[in-house]
Amino acid sequence: MISRLATAIALIAAPLAAQDFSEGSEARSWNLYAEVPATFEARVVDVMCELTGDCPENCGGGERQLGLLRAADGVLVMATKNNQPAFTGAVVDLLPYCGLSVTVDGLMIDDPEIGARNIYLVQRVKTDGGDWSKASQFTKVWARENPNAKGKGPWFRRDPRILAEIEKHGYLGLGLEIDREFKEYLFE
Amino acid sequence: MKRLLATLAALTALPAWASEGERITVTGEIIDTWCYYSGVMGGPDAVVGSAHHTCALWCSASGIPIGLLTEDGTVYTVLNLGPQDNATGGDTALTLASHTVTAEGMFYARDGINYIVVERVVSDMGITNLSHEDYDVVPSFAIPEPKE
Repeated sequence: MISRLATAIALIAAPLAAQDFSEGSEARSWNLYAEVPATFEARVVDVMCELTGDCPENCGGGERQLGLLRAADGVLVMATKNNQPAFTGAVVDLLPYCGLSVTVDGLMIDDPEIGARNIYLVQRVKTDGGDWSKASQFTKVWARENPNAKGKGPWFRRDPRILAEIEKHGYLGLGLEIDREFKEYLFE
Repeated sequence: MKRLLATLAALTALPAWASEGERITVTGEIIDTWCYYSGVMGGPDAVVGSAHHTCALWCSASGIPIGLLTEDGTVYTVLNLGPQDNATGGDTALTLASHTVTAEGMFYARDGINYIVVERVVSDMGITNLSHEDYDVVPSFAIPEPKE
């Protein structure tokens, strides 16, 4: 019975999956090969909770990956990237909306050749009746949480944990000796 | 009809439906999924291994999902990395960036994405993909130029 129902749902869901969510999107292009502008209504969810039923409070408080459960078709979209061109994820930006229904605008990455489906870069988010907020909070939150890492340059050049890894294993991660030889070649 | 379709589709979203995970053991490289999927810095081969290690640290530390890329090209999005550490900017995710590991845990698939909740990293082979030999470093500014 369940398998028949699952098949029926799959058949129905297939055309839904092909819906166009680009209408009304004002997402800025990142000139990515497989990007598609996409705006849609969704509920912000803890992905692991959705999959396993293990559901801590507040979507894990920042320690869990967050997803967007799309209202139109129930597809679980992975919120992979925020709006900052600074190697920054989307958890910090979406956590305040845990469990809420929101509208998001951004870029969907759809590249079946490498298995990219429902991968999303969120650029802005709003609740029903609210104003748009840019999904660009990571660096502010990082600065607040790392008061001793003040200085010049972007956050990723100053992050204590990243610096500790590089100090221990080098930029290539292969050890300091290989790093030294490689830098001599690279900057000769 | 539209309401029926939406209801049926929403049913698939219930956690209870998706809770039938499958225990698996997989071997692959811990990668940065954003650079891999988006192509923002080049093709898939350029954004893995030693060439991309520093960038993988940056992305992992900021909470971008990490993945486990197997030899056949399957990517498992890693949701948890052992009982004591999360996979969203957690310390273990950082120390394993670009490493080839064998991990065991529970596998889930939904809406075109494969997921793994890693219960145990069985073995850590370190960085085995010496991609810097072909690509130098990606992005090219990952290693800061020495000051004169």
